[in-house]
Amino acid sequence: MMLLQLLAVERLKIRRKGIWPLIAAGGFGVVLLEAANYAVRYDYLIQQSADDPWGSMLHDIHFMAVPSLMMGLTIIASMLAGVEHATNSWKQTLALPLSRLSVYAAKFLLLIGLMLAACTMLAVGSIVLGLCLSLGTDIPYAELLRISYLPMLAALPIGAVQLWLSVSLANQAIPLTVGILGTVVSMFGATLQDYIPYKWPMLINHWNEPLISAALGLAVGLVIYLAGSVHFVRKDVK
Amino acid sequence: MWSVLSSEWIKWRKSPIVWLIFVSPALCTLIGLIESEDGGSNQWIQLLQMMGVMHALLLLPLLTGVFAAAVCRLEHAGGGWKQLLALPVSRSAVFIGKFISVMLLLLATQVVFLADLLLVGTIKGYTDPIQWSGLLFSMIGSWLACMPLAALQMGVSVGWASFAAPLAINAIFTLPNIMIANSERFAPYYPWDYPVLLMLSQQIADSADDFQLPMKTLYTVMSVSFILFFMGGHTYFRRKSI
Repeated sequence: MMLLQLLAVERLKIRRKGIWPLIAAGGFGVVLLEAANYAVRYDYLIQQSADDPWGSMLHDIHFMAVPSLMMGLTIIASMLAGVEHATNSWKQTLALPLSRLSVYAAKFLLLIGLMLAACTMLAVGSIVLGLCLSLGTDIPYAELLRISYLPMLAALPIGAVQLWLSVSLANQAIPLTVGILGTVVSMFGATLQDYIPYKWPMLINHWNEPLISAALGLAVGLVIYLAGSVHFVRKDVK
Repeated sequence: MWSVLSSEWIKWRKSPIVWLIFVSPALCTLIGLIESEDGGSNQWIQLLQMMGVMHALLLLPLLTGVFAAAVCRLEHAGGGWKQLLALPVSRSAVFIGKFISVMLLLLATQVVFLADLLLVGTIKGYTDPIQWSGLLFSMIGSWLACMPLAALQMGVSVGWASFAAPLAINAIFTLPNIMIANSERFAPYYPWDYPVLLMLSQQIADSADDFQLPMKTLYTVMSVSFILFFMGGHTYFRRKSI
């Protein structure tokens, strides 16, 4: 119950900060970019992907979605923590009769919730784009769900790290730079070793099973989240 | 002007911002050391291509935003703008001083990048002669290409107290690079692509297909977008109520 109230509080804090436009830019922006890609060279792309038009469009969208997912996690984690940093109000927030664990949990849940909203926009946008491009009504829902939501699960460790850094460091330049580096590393990530979390959002591994990347992300993400919240509970706040 | 710059320097010389100039070169050095060149053209130019794509496609434009937000951080925290502008300095000088600071941080990044590139080449024992004109053109070109971006980010950063919001604007414009950079038709009109275009101008000029960078278009778009963004930010800051 308290967690629900806290979530409502967190949501209030980020009202009118332009988070929803940002989420929409992330979710629909990727689809729009792919739409522009088709607009520029429709005939070529349709011809290239004649045997699997949906699959190749979704593949492109996934490739574009990974960097925006990573930047999204970075920026939103920084915004959620930035409310307290900017007004020096960690003391005030934590002086309320709330457990620190739940304050941290609320921020983490809100981060995930917002990103899942972006993922849903991506999924809906992909369907609309595919239908507009008349790729046929034979929509591969399994593949659609895979590229829309599994990267988010696989990127959970990155979200947990970003929130941890954003909450513990007052100077947001550092978490944001870490996030930017992560984004670039994950884009060139296909060549990395399988155990490096920055590779997981691309869902590539030598077992050829995207679910493994997502499962690893979920497990490691929760461990990092727990470590971050234990640190937050014991940390001295300014 | 000089006093504004020296006061900026005092503000961030002990802060972690200064360390950020090493971040991108360090990552690119790793790539330079791991990847191997495929033979063919000059080894140094190939190395520049490998390290340069990573540096200039996303990192340099995104770091421009971080630097711009970082030089405004102290003023946004705890009413620093009032304090700074109560001093006998014009708002214009403050804005220009901060813009120059961002450009100097970027220049330092480029210098570190070039030094790292030479270091990687030396470690790998390159025997080809160094093409200084090509290397320097890429370095200076991609630095100058950051000017419109830095001007826009300065404007957004003085406007928004939040650190992340300007970065969000920056990311929204920079991430499409990944796709637009591949388009010969549109890349020369998209300022966020210019750092990587100019960084790789040597390879583009040498490459077999007949695509040539339309330098005149590049310079025009660069100057016009810079003037627009700079004047916009400057005017906004002069009239803003603090």
